[in-house]
Amino acid sequence: MTKSHYKQLSSRWRARHQNLQRKLWGKHKEALDWLSNGHRQLISGSLGGLMLLTGQISNSLPAINVAKAQATITQKVDKEVFLISDLEHILPEDVRPLSTEEEQKISEILSRNYGIKVAPELEGKRLNRSYGFIGAEQHLTRYPGDNLSSHFDSGEDAKLYWQQGMAPGLGAWSYFALSKEELTKEDKDREEYYIAVQTFLSEDFNSRFTEYRDFYKYRKMLVVNPNNGRAIVADIADAGPAVWTGKHLGGSPEVMHYLERVDGSLKGPVLYFFIDDPNDKIKLGPILSLPNV
Amino acid sequence: MRKKYFYTHIIDTSTLSLELGDMDLTPKERLHLISLIDSNIHHEILDLILSELSPLDKKAFLTHLSSENHDKVWKFIKEKVGNIEEKIIKTAEDVKKELHKDIKKVKG
Repeated sequence: MTKSHYKQLSSRWRARHQNLQRKLWGKHKEALDWLSNGHRQLISGSLGGLMLLTGQISNSLPAINVAKAQATITQKVDKEVFLISDLEHILPEDVRPLSTEEEQKISEILSRNYGIKVAPELEGKRLNRSYGFIGAEQHLTRYPGDNLSSHFDSGEDAKLYWQQGMAPGLGAWSYFALSKEELTKEDKDREEYYIAVQTFLSEDFNSRFTEYRDFYKYRKMLVVNPNNGRAIVADIADAGPAVWTGKHLGGSPEVMHYLERVDGSLKGPVLYFFIDDPNDKIKLGPILSLPNV
Repeated sequence: MRKKYFYTHIIDTSTLSLELGDMDLTPKERLHLISLIDSNIHHEILDLILSELSPLDKKAFLTHLSSENHDKVWKFIKEKVGNIEEKIIKTAEDVKKELHKDIKKVKG
C-alpha cells in the first residue's frame, strides 16, 4: 500500500502547506511584498528567502528521481547564491567606476560562472565604465516602416512590451535591415537584446571615431544584475544615455524585463563586460542556466 | 542534506522521520514527505513570529532571515518577542502532533 500511504500523506500535507502559505501572505502581505519586490536582492541571495516566498514544495513526487532533482535545483540555486555573494564581496557600496583590480576579479567570476570569456577591455578598447546604473530604452525601428503594430512576434510580447513605445530616432547603426522582407532572426535579436552605452565617453573617442564605431557596432556584452544573478548577452545598438541623466547605459525593454531592472528612482546597477567571441558562437539573449563549472 | 534554519537546534522532528521510516515508502517518497514536514513547520513558525512583530519589525526580521545570519535573527526576535524560544517550540510541537495524527490515520 506504499502508493496509498504516500499519496494520502503528501496530499494532506501539501494542502496544509498551501493553506499556510495563503494565510501567511494574507496576514503579512505588506512585509512579504516589500521583501519580494523592493528587496529582491535579499531573497535572491538567500535559500531561506526563496523557500519563504515560493514554498519550495513540489506539488507531487516527480517522475524523475526526487533526490537528483532536488540536488540539481540546490546546485543551481547554490551557484546563483555563490555568484551573488562573490560579487557582493567585490563590488563597492556606491555605484562608481571599478578599479582595474576589481574589474579583473569580476571578469574572472563572470567568465567562470557563465562559461563565457568576458573582459572590460577588448582589442585595446574599453568603455568609460563597466559598472553603472541602467535605464530603460525604447524599441528601435528595425526597418523602414517598422512600428508598434509590426514590431512584436506574439500577442504576449506585445502585451509585455508595447507600452515602452518606439524610440523617435534610429539606433546608432541606423536600420537593422533595409526592409521587412530582409529582416533576419539575427536582426530581430539584435534589436530585442540591445543596449545603449556611452560610446562617446571612450578615451580618445573623437580622434579614433572610425575605429571605435566599427568596434562597437553590435558588439556583444554580458550584462549582469549583480543583485539577482540574472545575466543576458546583449549587443550595442545605440549610444547613450546622456551624462546628465545620471544613468550609464540603457537596456531595451526586453533586456530590462529579464534583468528585473527598472528606470527612475528605483533604478539599479548592472555589470557590463565585453564578450570575447571572435567566431560569433554566442547567442544573444538571456543566459537561462549556469553551466556546470 | 536538509536545510538548517535559525530554530533547527531547538526543534526535533526525528519522531516523524522515524515513523515515516517504519512505513512502506520508497526513499524518494520519504524524502518528499520530510520536505513537506519541514516546510509546514517553517511556515507556522514564520507566521508565529511575524504575528508578534510590528510592520516595521516584520521587515527587519525578514531582512535578517534573508541574510541567513542565524545569530542576528535570534538576537532580533529575542529582543522583540518575549519567550520566543518557548513559543517556537510549542508551535512546532503542535504541528508535529497534527502530522503524527495524519500518519496514524493513514496507517489505519
